Amino acid sequence: MFVNSLNGIIYGSFLTLTSLGLSLVFGLGRVVNFAHGVLYALGGYFFIIFLPSLGWVAMVFAPLVVVPLAIAMEWLTIAPIRNRDEIYTLLVTFGLSFMITGAIEYLWGTETTLIKPPVIFQGTVDILGNQFPVYRLFASALSLVVTGLVFVFIQFTPVGLKIRAITDDSEMAEALGINTRWLLTSIFGGAAGFAAFAGALGAPIFSVEPEMGMGIIIDSFLAVILGGLGHLPGTAVGAFIVALAKSIGGGYISEWAIAVLFLVVAAIMVLRPRGVFGRGRIA
Amino acid sequence: MAVSPDVENRVEDASRVRSREIATRVLLAVSALLVLAVPFLNASPFFITLLTEALIFGIWAMSLDLLVGYTGLVSFGHAASFGFATYAAGIFAMNVSADFFLSTFVAILAAAAVAFFTGLVVTRLSGIAFAILTLCICQVLFQISVVWRSFTGGLDGLIGVPLPTLFGREVEPGEEFYLLTAVTLIVCYLLLRRVVESPFGKTLLAIRANEDRAAAIGIDVRRHKLVILILSWMTGGVAGTLFVFLKAGANPMTLYWIESGNILAITILGGIGTLFGPIIGAIGFIFIRDEVTTLYRAWQFSFGLAFVLAVLFMPSGIAGVAEKIWRRLWPARS
Repeated sequence: MFVNSLNGIIYGSFLTLTSLGLSLVFGLGRVVNFAHGVLYALGGYFFIIFLPSLGWVAMVFAPLVVVPLAIAMEWLTIAPIRNRDEIYTLLVTFGLSFMITGAIEYLWGTETTLIKPPVIFQGTVDILGNQFPVYRLFASALSLVVTGLVFVFIQFTPVGLKIRAITDDSEMAEALGINTRWLLTSIFGGAAGFAAFAGALGAPIFSVEPEMGMGIIIDSFLAVILGGLGHLPGTAVGAFIVALAKSIGGGYISEWAIAVLFLVVAAIMVLRPRGVFGRGRIA
Repeated sequence: MAVSPDVENRVEDASRVRSREIATRVLLAVSALLVLAVPFLNASPFFITLLTEALIFGIWAMSLDLLVGYTGLVSFGHAASFGFATYAAGIFAMNVSADFFLSTFVAILAAAAVAFFTGLVVTRLSGIAFAILTLCICQVLFQISVVWRSFTGGLDGLIGVPLPTLFGREVEPGEEFYLLTAVTLIVCYLLLRRVVESPFGKTLLAIRANEDRAAAIGIDVRRHKLVILILSWMTGGVAGTLFVFLKAGANPMTLYWIESGNILAITILGGIGTLFGPIIGAIGFIFIRDEVTTLYRAWQFSFGLAFVLAVLFMPSGIAGVAEKIWRRLWPARS
């Protein structure tokens, strides 16, 4: 039980990273990005590809490769349909997620790869009588630090202020001279970078396989809706709720927990469309 | 306006429109005859089975077209209608009776019941929220099908569903089952055609065009959405029943959200708002998938690419383009 919830917290910290990007992109451009999960997968794959030659620098390098890819993606497919109904972005990004998953399977096969964590983190640590891998704790802490940095960036920098302004009222923000178009593209790239980083960081824990993005995207959606669309602190809390529900009890009980979770999220969408904290946007 | 096909609003000459409509009907009747004639054309058993699956997907895609094309509701959980019916029909056929009509009836009833309760909630929403909410509900059903092992067989699904019987006689797999599927498809098409051309269907188009205005002129938007949702699920249920008999089993993966995305892509690629477009989409999907997966592994990539390109450049789908060409062939502008 204790180990389960600890694993839940670790998954939660990764889920926070991926959900944040999803939430930011929705808040800014009302883009529901189904392709966010495959960007996470790409991060994992680029990491294991660069690992032999670059060593652990690959963990930083992989997101740097994914960011321009994501920006190109946004520029080619999402930007042209910004004037159409919002639902089109959902359709296009779903198609993109299919494309990229297919490309991953084609290029790198369907095998599951689990790599060993770096030597210094390979041991285990004793927590209340349970042996726990050090790397998990380290990776979880690191993703929480990155999440913290994102919060600081959004809350205390001029660019962060613009982002909050657009999320609040995009027309008004544009009237004040904020370039929404440009900001959306760059945030899309940035969000992709964080997702890719989570994929790379999680490679030694959750392993790397083509469908990994399709699994995490649904969990991220749940987290984002629970917390309120576009509301970042809520998204973080939502991510931990989802992760704990998936891990507590383990196996059989958690499968029921997930079913209940989907029902709860459905109920929230109808009864509290602004999320648990009542601060998000209405879909 | 939500997702919608191109609509040509130019004034057309009534008598020429009439002649074009007759020509369209003749074309449809010929294709229906062709579909029915396939088993007598010396087709291989493999081809027949593949085409059976394609037609079943066609019924399913057509049922989604009612929501996406005619009401502007993009459902991302339409696997629920199909998958739920495969379980309902499968469990009924294994435990009570494998009579085709009875199983179909049970599956339709079950699908309608779930659609009713789902509809009470989802009809409050539209657009992205509708898509995500339907996805959530479909995932609930998926989880239940995985977890409730004693009833659904868990991840293994249902195994050993008997062959369907028709008037007390067993329907043989292959050509006989194909004919049963083809007739069902044609009946479904004709019935749904009547629905979308009825005043009720025209009201749906008004809701698609602008929900708020439709409500403002006194249309009970939620009730219309509920009715079409139930109808759509019932049709999806027919497809699910045929599928469980074709595969002699049910599998929880038919309820997974990616399956919902698949059928949505098929429907949109085929051409929404036409009913026959999604059938073309389904046939294309099944056959090209079969060709491509045996040739090389890039099927998923190609399908994704085709879908992205279609959404960007050809939102009215294959049927939309075909209809434009057809209109060229039978010009009705004076």
